[in-house]
Amino acid sequence: MKINRRSFLKSAGVLAAGTASAPAAAAEAAAEPTPRWAMLIDLRKCIGCQACTVSCIHENAVPEDSYRTVVTTYEVASEGRVDAYMLPRLCNHCANPPCVPVCPVGATWAEPGGAVLVDNERCVGCGYCVQACPYDARFINHETQTADKCTFCLHRVEVGLLPACVESCVGGARIFGDLNEPDGDLRRAMDEAESLKVLRPEQGTAPHVFYIGLEPEFAGDVDAEPVLWAARAERR
Amino acid sequence: MDPTIIEMVNVSREVAWLPWAVQYFFLIGLSIGALLIALPGTLFGLPRWQRVSAIALLVALITGLAAPVALLADLHQPFRFYHFYLYPQTSSWMAWGAFFLPAYMLLLVMHAWLVYRPALSEQAETGPRLLSGLFRRLGGEARPRLQQASGLAALLAALAVLTYTGMELAVVAARPLWHTPLLPWQLFATALVGAAGMALLLQRLLVGAGDADTVRHLQRLLIGSAIGVAAIGLLWLFLGFSGTSPSYQQAITQLTRNPGWQLNAAWTALALVAPVAAAWLLPRHGWLSGLLALHFAWMFRWSVFMDVQSLPKAAAGYQPYVLPFGTDGLLGIVGTAGLVVFLVLILSSLLPWQRPALPALSHHDPATLPGHRSEEV
Repeated sequence: MKINRRSFLKSAGVLAAGTASAPAAAAEAAAEPTPRWAMLIDLRKCIGCQACTVSCIHENAVPEDSYRTVVTTYEVASEGRVDAYMLPRLCNHCANPPCVPVCPVGATWAEPGGAVLVDNERCVGCGYCVQACPYDARFINHETQTADKCTFCLHRVEVGLLPACVESCVGGARIFGDLNEPDGDLRRAMDEAESLKVLRPEQGTAPHVFYIGLEPEFAGDVDAEPVLWAARAERR
Repeated sequence: MDPTIIEMVNVSREVAWLPWAVQYFFLIGLSIGALLIALPGTLFGLPRWQRVSAIALLVALITGLAAPVALLADLHQPFRFYHFYLYPQTSSWMAWGAFFLPAYMLLLVMHAWLVYRPALSEQAETGPRLLSGLFRRLGGEARPRLQQASGLAALLAALAVLTYTGMELAVVAARPLWHTPLLPWQLFATALVGAAGMALLLQRLLVGAGDADTVRHLQRLLIGSAIGVAAIGLLWLFLGFSGTSPSYQQAITQLTRNPGWQLNAAWTALALVAPVAAAWLLPRHGWLSGLLALHFAWMFRWSVFMDVQSLPKAAAGYQPYVLPFGTDGLLGIVGTAGLVVFLVLILSSLLPWQRPALPALSHHDPATLPGHRSEEV
């Protein structure tokens, strides 16, 4: 977790400098290039433990029965062999986010670092962004009655911490970082990956959550039988 | 061989647009459809349209006044509605709607007032004494040119509302069944069917079965609109067969996998045929074709909103919507219907809706207008 330590030390340095010389720290911060936050999920390492799901709920006070991230889990049977397939899902913090232009009151936007956020004091809870997101990553938070979603844990990132889901990932499947940092763990892992995929590429949203090992059957609509309905549905 | 996949763990998302949205799109569609039916009479003064125009204008008013209540209720933060005006975003069709809808309502009410103006003076003498002062103040000479100008402005605002409501859905690429340029036209044509239906129903309730000409006229409009709906549906199918329509592809996928959707498709087709058959076979029973037409317009919107939202975007299968009994569900639907009934009672009792001033384009002499209303209708 080199990036974590480096980010942490860097921000700690800024804080320390702040006590001695605030203008100097501000000048240093202004000179830094804008980060482009992104996440890489190595599906080969995900064990479907849902630690990310739970830590996100705790970190972000996500209300009951709502989720900003979840590890969707599938049973895949092919040619006599049965496997489990885990696919963590969250907001893709798209470079071309379809949820942003539809908001009638400008309550959602992409930060300079790419994280797509919601101002829940401006949001009117019209739900239009929820409809426009092709990843079902948004929902109405019934405690605030406004749109809610993953923020890439920007409140943690800004003080040099990793998003809660990354921090808690048992298998180290989630790698978070700045795409613009050439020596960062994220950039290196992405450069080394044989094949990077995103969800629903045909939507043209330019997602910034990348996957290693994403099978084509899972990139869009998954032609699967939902297990909750299995008892009623006819087995194919 | 394709793998067999079973989804073991996922979450189900609630619908973000509640039955309130169905009610809003239903009522605003009825209002605009009814205004379009009224305008040949109130804008151009076509003699054959005068009675149809009278009932249609009343429908436009009733449903137009009820619609925004449902829209506001669909917001999860309704008391923040003023944010639409503090922070308008031109990139959002919904933001445009926040301006188009009040403009439409204002112009509709203004147009109706100018239509009723001459008869309101009479109403001051014959209507409830408590309101005679108000009617006297609102009543006056006919203003044909102003009436036409307001009718034209209301028409433009109605087209703006039609455009925004249709485009609001059609731009959502994440929902292929909405993401078709045909959806705004389907909403428009089904709204006309519903408006003709509501006019037929109110005609029976408020006028009785006596005026067969008006019933036949409204039934012809109903049949014509239903043919339009069928034509757009066929065009949608044709585009689907050509393989270029994601909307069609998703519908076919659902139809082949989901018995609920097969039932829904059959229901929609029957719901369109039923009012046409009733109008054709039982032309004297306008209320029946009217009720069936209203059912079609409503269930089309229910399917468009609630059934399409039941298709998850990140989960397998179909997550059926279960209608709650509270204000977010059944109570909201019943409440909106109650508001419509209330407005029917109030407006039909207070307004001189049966004697509207309908200026003929060829008769711009004001002297021919006010005194001849009751004879014309």
